Amino acid sequence: MSTVSENISCANWSNQLSVHAQGDYKYSGRDSLVFLVDASKEMFIKGENGEPTNFDMTMQCVRSVYTSKIISSERDLVALVFYATENSKNPQDSFKNVYVFHDLDSPGAKRVQEVDSLRGEKGAKLAAQMLGSGPTSLGDALWCCSNLYSDIRLRLSHKRLMIFTCRDNPHDGDSGHDLSARTKAGDLKGTGVVIDLMHLVKPGGFDVSLFFCDIISPPEDAEELGLQLEPSDLTASLLHLSLGDGVHVAVGLYVLVRTATKPAPIRLYRTTNEPVNTKTRLFHMQTGTLLLPSDTKRSQVYGNRQIVLEKDEVDELKKFDEPGLFLIGFKPVSRLKLHHHIRPSLFIFPEEEMITGSSCLFTALLRKCSERGVFAVCKYTSRRNTPPRFVALVPQKEELDQNQTQVTPAGFHLIFLPFADDIRTLDVHQSPTANSMQIDKMKEIVQKLRFKYRSDAFENPVLQQHFRNLEALALDMLEAEAIEDLTKPKVDLMDQRLGSLVQEFKDLVYPADYNPEGKTATKRKPAEAGGGAEKKPKVEVSEADLRAHVEKGTLGKLTVPVLKEACKQFGVRTTGTKKQELIDSLTEKLSK
Amino acid sequence: MARSAALVLCMDVGFSMSDSAPGLQSSFEEAKKVIRKFVQRQVFAENKDELGLVLFGSDGTKNPLADGGQYQNICVHRHLMIPDFELLKEIQNDVQPGSKQADWLDALVVCMDLLQKETLGKKYERLNIAMLTDLQSPVSDDQLDTIIRNLKRAGITLQFFLPFPVDVEQSGMGGDEAGGDGPGSKPLPHGGKGLTREQQQGLKLVRQIMTSMEEEEGLEEVYTFSSAIERLSIFKRIERRPMAWPCQLTIGSALSIRIVGYKAVTEERIKKTWTVVDAQSHKRDDVKRDTVYCLNDDNETEVTKDDTIQGFRYGSDIVPFSKVDQEQMKYKSEGKSFAVLGFTKQSLIQRHQFMGSQVVKVFAAKDDEHAAVALSALIRALHELEMVAIVRYAYDRRSNPQVGAAFPCIKEKYECLLYVQLPFAEDLRFFSFPSLENNKKFTASAEQLSAVDSLIDSMMLMEEDGGEPQDIFKVNHIPNPQFQRLFQCLQHRALNPNAPLPAMEPWLQAMLERPQVVTARCRTQLQEVRKRFPLTEVVHKKEQKTSADVFGKGNAEEPEAKKSREDEEDEFSVAGIAQGVTAVGSVNPDKDFRALVRQKSIPFGQVCQELTCRMEQLLGTKNPHYYSKCICSIRAFREESVKVGNAEFFNSYLQSLKRSVPDRGLQYFWDSLVHDGVMLISKDEVEGSTVTKEESSQFMTTAEKVEAAAPVDEEDTGDVDDLLDMM
Repeated sequence: MSTVSENISCANWSNQLSVHAQGDYKYSGRDSLVFLVDASKEMFIKGENGEPTNFDMTMQCVRSVYTSKIISSERDLVALVFYATENSKNPQDSFKNVYVFHDLDSPGAKRVQEVDSLRGEKGAKLAAQMLGSGPTSLGDALWCCSNLYSDIRLRLSHKRLMIFTCRDNPHDGDSGHDLSARTKAGDLKGTGVVIDLMHLVKPGGFDVSLFFCDIISPPEDAEELGLQLEPSDLTASLLHLSLGDGVHVAVGLYVLVRTATKPAPIRLYRTTNEPVNTKTRLFHMQTGTLLLPSDTKRSQVYGNRQIVLEKDEVDELKKFDEPGLFLIGFKPVSRLKLHHHIRPSLFIFPEEEMITGSSCLFTALLRKCSERGVFAVCKYTSRRNTPPRFVALVPQKEELDQNQTQVTPAGFHLIFLPFADDIRTLDVHQSPTANSMQIDKMKEIVQKLRFKYRSDAFENPVLQQHFRNLEALALDMLEAEAIEDLTKPKVDLMDQRLGSLVQEFKDLVYPADYNPEGKTATKRKPAEAGGGAEKKPKVEVSEADLRAHVEKGTLGKLTVPVLKEACKQFGVRTTGTKKQELIDSLTEKLSK
Repeated sequence: MARSAALVLCMDVGFSMSDSAPGLQSSFEEAKKVIRKFVQRQVFAENKDELGLVLFGSDGTKNPLADGGQYQNICVHRHLMIPDFELLKEIQNDVQPGSKQADWLDALVVCMDLLQKETLGKKYERLNIAMLTDLQSPVSDDQLDTIIRNLKRAGITLQFFLPFPVDVEQSGMGGDEAGGDGPGSKPLPHGGKGLTREQQQGLKLVRQIMTSMEEEEGLEEVYTFSSAIERLSIFKRIERRPMAWPCQLTIGSALSIRIVGYKAVTEERIKKTWTVVDAQSHKRDDVKRDTVYCLNDDNETEVTKDDTIQGFRYGSDIVPFSKVDQEQMKYKSEGKSFAVLGFTKQSLIQRHQFMGSQVVKVFAAKDDEHAAVALSALIRALHELEMVAIVRYAYDRRSNPQVGAAFPCIKEKYECLLYVQLPFAEDLRFFSFPSLENNKKFTASAEQLSAVDSLIDSMMLMEEDGGEPQDIFKVNHIPNPQFQRLFQCLQHRALNPNAPLPAMEPWLQAMLERPQVVTARCRTQLQEVRKRFPLTEVVHKKEQKTSADVFGKGNAEEPEAKKSREDEEDEFSVAGIAQGVTAVGSVNPDKDFRALVRQKSIPFGQVCQELTCRMEQLLGTKNPHYYSKCICSIRAFREESVKVGNAEFFNSYLQSLKRSVPDRGLQYFWDSLVHDGVMLISKDEVEGSTVTKEESSQFMTTAEKVEAAAPVDEEDTGDVDDLLDMM
C-alpha cells in the first residue's frame, strides 16, 4: 500500500515503522514483521550517479528497523526472507528459490551484524555467493512466510509482511505463478497478516497496477489492523468513578504520556556474563541470625525522641479510602491554573465491561463538561494503602484528521492538583518593567524565531546516546554512532535570522557598559586560579561544641562537610550522605 | 543559615487562671493546650527555630532579674533551645497552676531580657514573644514607654493570647475578635459576666502596646485561646526555603538575560524516611542489610559483588556495560542552561502533556534592573502575542537536559516566566480508542443530558456571594492528609509508646470529603441521574469466589434446588458408611461428625467437642488446603445443630473462633466463611438460641471493636493559614 515516492529515504521510513511500534508491549501482544526481499539481479544494479543498489538500500533499512525495534520494543518479532534466490534455505527445504535468512524472532546484536554483512560492496559479493539470483515464485515465498507465522506459539497483536522489490511484474506475465501468488496472499490476509509493498527505484517507474495491487492489503485494512489497539490491553487499572449516593461508573485509567527512562541494568557474573539473581536479607549484627520481617520495626527520630512503629502500622498510616475516584464537584476551566502541576497526567475512558451503562453516563458527563467549560474535581486513591490526591478531570473531545483517523480520543485527562504543602512561598519583589518600545522590539525577535511546536519533535538525547552506546558495544563497533541533539539551540541559524535585532534590543534595555555575563564570571575566577578542591579549608568542630549542639538539637545548623568531618572524627559509620542521616548518626553516637 | 527564629512563650500560671465557669475549661488549661499544640507542631516542623518558656504567677522565682523583691514569681522554665519531646513532657507534667500572681509587664521584661541575652552574637530572622494570660494580675505601667521603645529597638514582635477577644468592649459580649476566628468562638469565661477592672485596664495596655508597635495591624496579633487551639490542630505544612537557581536565559549567541529560577510547585515529601530497626532493641545498628548475588543454577551458587558487572538488554542479547564505561560514554550536557530554541503559540502546548514533577518560576536576577527590564520585555511580548518560549533546560552539568515551555505570567505584584517540562518523543504513546460520540449505543437522550446538566449546576464548587464567585474547595489550601496523619500517629506513639495508633482526626476526614453544602444541594439531582441512567455492575464469574472455588472443591455454588437434592443423597450415603465410625477423624471430619450424630451413641456435646478439636488442629496448620475441610465441617456442625435443636455449642464455637481470627491470622478463612453465608444460629431457627436473625448476620461482618477511639480535639474549620506566621 505504500504510496511512497521513488526516492524515499530509508531513515524516514524506518522512523515511521518505529512510531507504529510505540504501543507498550506490557499491555499488548507482540508485533511481528516479516521482510520479504527480492534478491533478483535487478536489485543489485547500481544507480547512475553511484547511488547504492536497491538491495543495499533495503539492507540499510532493515538494519535500522532492527535497531529501533531493539530500543523501543525488543520483544517484537522480525524475520528476513529473500525470494528469487538461487539457493534455498527454509524449514524442510520444501520451497525452491526462497531463502529464510532470519526466522521470526526478537532481533539481537548478532542479527544486526548479519544484516550488516550484506551491506555495501562486500555485502553484494556475499549475497551473490550465499543467495544467488534465480527464478521467481512469489507464491512459494508467501507460502513459506505463512509457515513462519504458524510456527509461532506467542500471541501476536500485529502481523505485517513487507515486500521489497523493484520489479513490478515479477513473473513476467506467467499467469500460473501470478495466480498462485494471489491465492497465497489471500490466505495470508485471511489470517490477519497485513501485506505492504515497498517498491524501489525502477527505471521507467513502478506500476503497482500490473500485479502487486492484488497482493497487498487495501489501505483501510492496514489502518485498522496496524494501528488500532484494544484499549483494554493498555489499561493501567480499572476503577469506579463514584458520583455519590451509590451512583458508580466504571473507568479505565490509561497512561498516554510517561517519562521514558533507561532500562534498569542487569547484574552479570563477570566470567560468564550470565545474569545473577540478587537477594537482600537482613541479619542481626551481633548474633548473625537471619531477621524475618517480623523481627524488625520501623523508626524515626523527632524532637530527640525515637518513635517506633510496626511495619504494618507504617502501611496502615497511608490507608484512607478504597481505590477509586470520588467526585467532589465542578469548577470552571479557568480555575485550573498553569502552575497546578506536580506529575504527568493520566487519561480515563469508560469501561463498559465492568458496569454496563458506564459509557452512556460518561459520554453525557463529558459532553456537558466540555460544553459548559467546566472540569470535575475528584478525590483519587490509586491503590489500597495509598493516600488520596485531588485531581482535575478535564474533558477532551474526539478529534479526527482529514483521513478520519483519530488524533485525540474522547475522554477525561486526569491532572494532579497540588496540596498546600506542594506550593512553595517565594520572596517576590517588584522590579522595573519594560516600556512599549522595548516590548515591541522583543516581539520582533519572537516573531523571527517562531516555529510550530510538535510534542514528538524532540528526542531525548540521553536515551538516544545510551542506546547508541549499547549498540556500539553489542555490535563491536569502534565508536558509537553520533546522535543529533535536538535539545540544543541552533545558534547560528537563530543569529542569522535575528540579524541586527539583537543589538537593537540590547541598545534599548542594556546600558553600554553592561555585561549580562559579567558578575557570575568574576565570581568563578578565584576558584579556578587556586586549583579547586585543595583550597577548601579543613572544617572541624570541637567535641564540646558538638555535644552542645546535640544537646540543644541544633546539629542541623552545621553544614554537611562539617558534619561529615565530625562523623569521621568520632568514627561514626555513615552510610548515607543526606544531612538528616548524618545528624541522626551523630546524635546517636554522642548521646550515648 | 541564620534564617531561624527565636521565640519565648510566656504563660501566666497565676491563681486566677485556674478559675473556670462550670462546664468550661479554665484559662490555665486552655493556655497550656495552646502551648502544647504549638510545641508539637514545632517538633514535627523540624525547623531550627529556638524556643524558650517563661512562667509567671508561679510559686517560685527563677530569673536573672529577680533582685530585692523585684520580678518575683517569674520563672524561666526553659532557655532558648530547639523544642523536643522533653519539653513536651515538661509542659505536660511540670507546668502546674501557681498560687500567686505576677505583673505581666514584668514577665514581658524577663522575656525580653532572655531573648536579648541568648541571641547575642547570633543572627535570627525573627524574635518573638507570645504572651498567654487572662490579664487578671495588677500591673504597674510606669515603665510602659521604655518597654515599647526597647521592643522596637530590639526588633522583637509580640503576640497576645487571651481568654476573650480584644474588641470585647466595643462589640459587646461574645463578639468576634480581631483575629478573625469564626464559629469557634466560645462564650466568655466567668459565664459572660464581663471583665474585671484589672482585665479592662490590661486590655487597654495591650491595645496601647500593640498599636504603638504595629499601628492598626497590631491588633491582629491578639488571639483568643480557642481560635489558637483550632488552628494549631493542623500540623504545619512542610516548608522549604526555595533554592535560587541563577542562570542565563539565552536567545541565540548574542542575547542573554541574567535570571534566577525557583521551584514554585513540586510534590513535597517527608524529609525523614523510616529506618529499619531490630524489634527488640530498637537499634538500627543491630540490623545489617546483606545483599547476595547468586547464579541461576540448581545450587544458587553465591558469587561476590566484585565478581559481577552490570549489563543492559539489547534486543535478545545482554550487553555487559560497566559503570565506568557507561559514565565515560554517556551523554554529556554542557552545564546549566536556559536556552530558547524558538517561540510558538500557547495553544500548541497541551495542558495534559506537562511532564516532570515541578513548575519553575523564572525571575530576573536579583538587584539587576537591566536584566529585569530585558526579561519584562520578553514576558510582555509573549503575553501580548499569546506565545511561549520553548527552551532547553539543564539544571547543572550532571543532570539531564529537558525541553520545556516558558509561559509568561503577569501578576499584580510581579511578573515571571513559568517553566514546565514537555515530553520527548519517547515519552508519548499513541493509542486509539473507540469513538464515544458516534456510537449510538452511548448517546444520551435529551432527558439524560439535562439530568447531567442540573447535576453539574448543583455540584458547582463556586459560591456566588454577591460579587466575585468564591471557590469553596481550594485544593491548594488543603494540607496533604498523608503528612497530617503521619504526624498525628508519630506524636501519639511518642507520647503513648504502648497504645495502638489513634483513629483519623474527624476534621481531616471531613476536609477530604465533598463540602456539606454541595452534598445537601445535589441530592435530588443525583437521584435523577440514578433514575435516568441504568447502571448495572457486571458480575464476572472470576470475582464470585466461594471457598469452594478457592480451595478447589466444586459443588458449593450450585443452584439451590440441585444442591439440596445432592445434600440428601450425600446424607444417604453418609448413613450408609456410618457403621463403624467411632470418632471424628481428620480425613472426612464432616462426614464422621454427621454419622456420629446420627448414631446417637455419644452425647451431642461430646461429638461437637470432638469436631471442634479436629478443626482446631486443621486450622492450626494454617494450610489453606485444609480450610475447605473446616468449612465443610462447620457447615455440617451448623446443619446438625439446627436439626438437633441445639444452638449453644455451635454459636459459642463460632464466637470464640471469631475472637481468635486476628491472632491466628485466619482472616482469609473467616472471609470465606462469611462468603459462604455461615452465620450464628438465630432464634428463628432454634428456639434456645439467644441471638436474633439480625445479630447473627451482623456478627459475621462487623469487625471486633479494636479500641475506643482516641480522644479527639475540637472540630476544626479547616483554615490552613499558618498560625505559625502569627507566632
